[in-house]
Formats: sequence, C-alpha cells, structure tokens
Amino acid sequence: MTDSIKHWMRRFSVWVTMGIYMGIAPVGYVTLSLLCFCWRKDPVRRAQRLQRMTAQAYRLMHRWLGWTRITVFDHQQRLPNLPKGACVVIANHPTLMDVTAVTAIMGGACSIVKPALFRRAMMNPLLRGLGHVEGPGPDPMRIGQVVADALERLRWGLPIVIFPEGTRSPPDSLGRFGRVAFEVACQAKVPLVSLTITCDPVYLGKHVPLFRPPHPTPHLKIGVLAVDHPDSHGADSRALRTKAEARYHAWLQTVAGAEARTYDSGPKETECQIS
Amino acid sequence: MSDQLAARIKEIIVETLALEDIEPASIETDAPLFGEGLGLDSIDALELALAFHKEFGVRTNENDENNREYYHSVGSLVKFITEKQAEAATSEG
Repeated sequence: MTDSIKHWMRRFSVWVTMGIYMGIAPVGYVTLSLLCFCWRKDPVRRAQRLQRMTAQAYRLMHRWLGWTRITVFDHQQRLPNLPKGACVVIANHPTLMDVTAVTAIMGGACSIVKPALFRRAMMNPLLRGLGHVEGPGPDPMRIGQVVADALERLRWGLPIVIFPEGTRSPPDSLGRFGRVAFEVACQAKVPLVSLTITCDPVYLGKHVPLFRPPHPTPHLKIGVLAVDHPDSHGADSRALRTKAEARYHAWLQTVAGAEARTYDSGPKETECQIS
Repeated sequence: MSDQLAARIKEIIVETLALEDIEPASIETDAPLFGEGLGLDSIDALELALAFHKEFGVRTNENDENNREYYHSVGSLVKFITEKQAEAATSEG
C-alpha cells in the first residue's frame, strides 16, 4: 500500500474516531456525573475511584488509536522506579495526547487544569470529582490556592501531574519551567518523578491539528528520566527546578542527536537517575 | 521618595528570592519582572507579596484582577505600594 493511501486512511480513521467519540462522550459524561453524585459524601474515595475508571477509559482509547494506526503507544508498559501513591510527576508536553497517556500508565493522576476549562459548567463537576486542581490563570496570587489544592490531593494519596512549561512544548524544544511542581514536591516532601515524552512525528502539538495526522504513524513513548526526593536538594524548589530543567535540556540534546544518527529507530531512552 | 522606594523594592526582590548573581541596582525600574524580563514566576510573586506585606504593611489580595499589572515591574510596584499606603493613611485619618 502506498504511503499516500495509508495517510488518507489515517485521516479517515481520525474522522471515524471523532464520530465515535461524539457518540460515546455524552454517555460517559452522564455516567460519570451520576457516579460523582452518588459518591459525593467521600470526595477522596470518589476521586480515587473515578481516576481508576478514567485510566481504564484512556487505556481503551489508546488501544483503539493503535488499532486504527492513528498513534501507537504501549499503554501497558511499566515504568521503572515509579513510586506508588502520592508523588509529583513532571513531564515535557509535546502533544495533547500525553495527558491521557500518562494517566493511562499511572492508573490515574490529578492535574492542574486551565481555569477557562475548569469553570465550564459541564466540565466543572467532573473535574472536581476527579480531584483535578484549578490552575492560577493570569492572577499570580492565585498560585497559593493552587499549591494548597495540590498538597491536598497528595494527602489523598493521589499522584499529581504538572507540566512545568505550563503549555505545550515548542517543537524540538522546551519552554521555561515554572516552579509550582517543585514547590509542591518540596512542601509535601514526596518524590518528584521526571518523565520524558516523545511523539515522533509530532501529532496534536501546537502546530499539528487533530484532522491533519502526520505520516508515518506517530509513536508516543514515555520514559522515566529521574526520580528525585526533595530532601536530597535541601527541599529547595529553586535548586530542584534548576537541576530538573538542565536534565531535560540534556535529554533533549540526546534525543536530537539520536534522531540525527538513526532517523527510523526512534528516540533513544536515557537511563533513569535516582537521587 | 519613589526612587528610594524603588531601590528598596529592588533590594527586597534580590534578598527574598536569593538572586545571588543580581545586583539590586542592575534591575531596571520599568523592565518586566516575569517571563522574559527578570524571569520570575508566580511562586516568586507570592513570596514577594509576603515580603511587601512585612516591609510596607501592604496586602496583595488574591483574585484581584489587577495583580498582574501591579507586579509587572518595579515601577508598577512603586505605584501599587504608594497607592495602598495612601489609601491606608486616608482610612486611618
């Protein structure tokens, strides 16, 4: 089959998938809303249960995306050295799919959601039920509440995923890291897990829209770059951020070097560091 | 007065945020503090708000839509602190 036909079939698959999604989404929304209401008395248990359900749904979604060759991602992979329970997970953010991929692999995780999305009438009860945290928006003083909410979710025993760049990564690069994730890890004294995410070729990045899937099939990969305990850096969120940011830049150089050497073999994984 | 206040604010920024490589005098009064300027982030803003409250008795309210504007630069902080102190003096008087 020629590349052109494969590409058009993938585009067709995206349209079919979106059609199925539009059909299933209302059912899922109603089901989750009912569960949110039924489990309203215990928000901790509610969030834990709903997170597990969401992770299952995302695994199913990634299985479907693999079958249809829209994207390939091994959602059953086990990440080495991943702590169980409460931890702060940071990652680069090359594509919108990394949120679902990380949630699928971790079996559920809270994240910080943009206020514009968090406050939508339809979404708010679900996002709250799942234990997600409303982001700071333009007011820098709101960050105190964000940190307090994130600390609460960690006390619930849930991991929290924070993309320190605050938005999707620029192509083949990294945005500047904010300090929220590192501050939360230091205050909660929980491990900070640095994940690396690659999507090759990039799909659903800043300049790659949904209905224009790239060719060949994008492969999404997640790896553990490092696991740090805040105490090993004197519980100093600035020091932790500097170290993590430098490590990500070094990793990016490695990936770029590997891609230049062997175009088809995919990005090279680096060894996980533990400190 | 505002020059003295600006100088003190610069000192507080460097002391509070432990910016080891930066001299207070090298911070430009109208340069942005966040992002491309001095490179501060929202956690830094929170720490500065506490420091300003301690030093000048000025409280930065959460959910004030003008906070981003107040914390834009040292110049805007001078204006913010001066206005808040004037408001406090008026209400006391």
